[in-house]
Parts: sequence; structure tokens; C-alpha cells
Amino acid sequence: MSSMQTLTTPLVRQNPVTLHVLGICSALAITNSLTSSLIMSVALTTVLIISNAAISAVRHYLPSSVRLLVQITIIASAVTVIDQFLSAYMPDAARTLSVYISLIVTNCIVLGRAEACAMKNGIGTSILDALGNGMGYSIILIFVATIRELMGAGTLMGFPIFKLAHEGGWFQENALFLLAPSAFFIIGFLVWGIRTWKPEQNEKPDFEPMPLPPREER
Amino acid sequence: MTRESPRKAILVVMLTALICSGLVSAAVVMLRPIQLNNQMLDQSRNIMQLTGLLPADGQLEDDELLDLYKTLDRRIVHIDAAGFDGEIDPVTFNLSRADNDPELSVGIPPDQDLASLGRRSSYTPVYMVWDGAQLDRIILPVRGNGMWSMLRGYIALESDLNTISGMTFYEQTETPGLGDQITHEHWLEQWQGRRIYDAQGNPRFRVNEGAVQPGTAIAEFEVDGLTGATVTGNAVTGMVHYWFGPHGYRDFLLALREQPPQRPVEDTP
Repeated sequence: MSSMQTLTTPLVRQNPVTLHVLGICSALAITNSLTSSLIMSVALTTVLIISNAAISAVRHYLPSSVRLLVQITIIASAVTVIDQFLSAYMPDAARTLSVYISLIVTNCIVLGRAEACAMKNGIGTSILDALGNGMGYSIILIFVATIRELMGAGTLMGFPIFKLAHEGGWFQENALFLLAPSAFFIIGFLVWGIRTWKPEQNEKPDFEPMPLPPREER
Repeated sequence: MTRESPRKAILVVMLTALICSGLVSAAVVMLRPIQLNNQMLDQSRNIMQLTGLLPADGQLEDDELLDLYKTLDRRIVHIDAAGFDGEIDPVTFNLSRADNDPELSVGIPPDQDLASLGRRSSYTPVYMVWDGAQLDRIILPVRGNGMWSMLRGYIALESDLNTISGMTFYEQTETPGLGDQITHEHWLEQWQGRRIYDAQGNPRFRVNEGAVQPGTAIAEFEVDGLTGATVTGNAVTGMVHYWFGPHGYRDFLLALREQPPQRPVEDTP
């Protein structure tokens, strides 16, 4: 794969959220506001780049018996450092995102890319791959958050877009969009849409039902 | 030494742990002062908003805010003795630590525990705002268990020690979009001018279910209910009833009414 492909494949064709269905927890939890989603996207992409680069740099020295252990240690350290930076320099955002920043450690995209890419490729490729996957995740988050915040609160990044009914406007906000189930629906419709557009993403059924025996044997 | 030997594995793990813990510790230690400063700023901003001393547009530099906050008349109240305490230093007193300290806190009788707290500190900081020699406002900390989380906030009372002049929550993690409406400004603004006690001196204030009906006898004690957040709303009602009831600030406020507090003599520069 060329470097350009490494960067762009995870955007739609190999999107970590809609194709691999990874990182769903945070995609449900924090997409009720566009601001939180943007910060989460930047935080996850940064962690991905740091961990992919570090793991790729030490990959030749990692005995396979302890490689997961070392990978998780590196990822957890990167997440903790970023969590500390956020609570120091963006305290409001850190309060809104609360535990979800620390939960980046358990985001399968990070460990997934470490295993699938960083262990096998050089630092440059690993960083591009991290950037691509981070952007793929960010696109989904931003898409879901835009719909949810607009429909749920009539605002985007806290700025009023639609005038709310109880403030004399026309827009009746729907609180369902601020709750996690709405993200399920939106991601579900998104996956449906993408797979209709790119049918090769459809998964093969796990098993075929056994054909019925011919009529006379019944 | 081959790549898969146990010695190599241990060496790699030790090295990784050492380097990573070094990085994490460095980040924590270096950023700690900034984080503490943020917490203090946030706390001061919450309290200052209730004093009515901030400029109307709310724009204030951080250090100006802290300077104003330092000039506030802070005192420690012994809730169970219904009076001021002269021994504890209000600047260093830590309320959330005292709430769990067996020596500084008391258990709450279950039948009175309307805020589901279990224990509360016997001592609490209060903030007093003066208008000349007259008490203008008094700001009291309150807390109560909501649907998911501990709600912590401050209630400011006017000089009649009954009318609410402001309310703020500085800590809560209720359901986003539903319970967290308690932090929305247009809801909190309704608290202004509402009364806590009825003529018999019992806490009557409550979060209504649905909108307040203007003109009814109890409208002056009510704020609108929050759609989809009945549990949080009831928790807020329970919190106010507990803190302004007989086990909370009621006796202290009655004592204050009997014997109005004096403005401290200020050091004139």
C-alpha cells in the first residue's frame, strides 16, 4: 500500500467504527455534544499516534510472550499523560468527558492498530496508519455528534442554531437524541448506508441454514 | 540471549515499566499546580456568582476574581451548635474531607436523611456578603444524592434568611440531557426570589412536577420540574428540605435572625 492509501483506507473503506465496529463505547457516550466529540477525537488520535510510533519503534525487541503487556503499558501511559494535560489546560472539557478519556485505554482501536499495524511496520507507516484510523474514528464521531446536538439541543458546539420553542422559536428539541440509544440508531443507519454503497463490506453469514430434506423423506 | 528467553522478557517489561512510570509521574507532578489552581478558580467563580459582586457581563480576569474571593467574609459554622465556630481556620477547612472524618462529622438519623447522605460534617464554611453594616446575602453549601451522583452546590439567601437569591451546582454527573438540566442557567434563574420556609418555619420549597402554576398559594415556593428528570428533581427537593430542616441549617438561621451578625472590622490600609 502506498502511504496515501495507508492514510485514506481507514476513512471509509476500512473505517474502524463502521466496518470493524470498534470504539463504540465512546462513540455512544460522548457524541451528545460536538465539542466533546472534537476533543475526544483529538485525544484518541494523539494516543493512537504516540502508541503506534512507540510500539513500532520497539517491535524488534518485544518477546511475543509479553508483547500485549508492553503494548498496554505504553497505551495506558500515553492516555494518562493526555488526561493530565486536559485537566490542566482544558478543565471544563475534562469535566464533561470525565472517565471517557481514561477509557481510551480500553478502546479496541488503539490495541487493534498496535497489533495489526505497529508490530509489523516501520515507524512512518505506523504513524500514517494511526493518523488515518484516528481520522476515520473522528469522522464518525463528528457526524453522529452533529446530528445529536442539533436535534437534541438545537445547538452546535454550544452555539444556538435553531431557536428553541420554549425561548419563543420554532424548534422543539428531542431529548432522546441526547441519550445513548440515539447514537445506536444513527450509527446503525450509517453502517446500513455505507454497506449499501459498498456491498463488499457486508459480512458473510456465520452459518447457512441446513437445506430441508427432500419431501418424500419427511 | 535469544529474543524469546524469559530473562529478556523480564528485562523488556522492567524497562518499559520504568520509562512509562517516569513519564507519567513527571506529567502528574508538573501539571498538579495548574490543576489545583483550576479547581480553586472554579470553586471561587461558583461562589462569586452568587454574591452579586461580579460585574454584570461576568467578564473578569482570573486573578481579579481570586482577589475578590479573598475579600469575602468566610466563617465556619458549627451546625449542631447553631452558631459560629471561632477555632477552625476557614481558609484551610476542607468540607468534603470533614464530611467523612469521624471526629468532625455526625451520623444523620435515617428518618431525617432526606438527601441520602448518611453522615455530614458538623462544621461548614459559609460566605457572607455585606452591604454597609447590613448583611446582604449568606451563601451556604448543600449536597444531596441525585439519580447517579452526589450533587454539590451553594444556595445564597437574602438578608431575610428565607428568600433565595441564587443557586449553583458545582458538581454533578446526572444523565446528560435530562438530569443535568439542573445546571442550566435558565432553570437556576427561576430560583431567584423563591422562598424556602412557609409561615410556620417549615421548609416548603420544592421542584414541581411540571410547570409552576402562577397565582397559586405555593407558587412562591416552587420552580418548574425538569422533563424526564423526576428523580433528580425530587433529589433536589429532598436536598433543600434536609439542609434547611431541623437537622440542617434551620436552627443556625433562626439564631442569626435573633442575633444579627456583625460585619467584621476591616483593616483599613
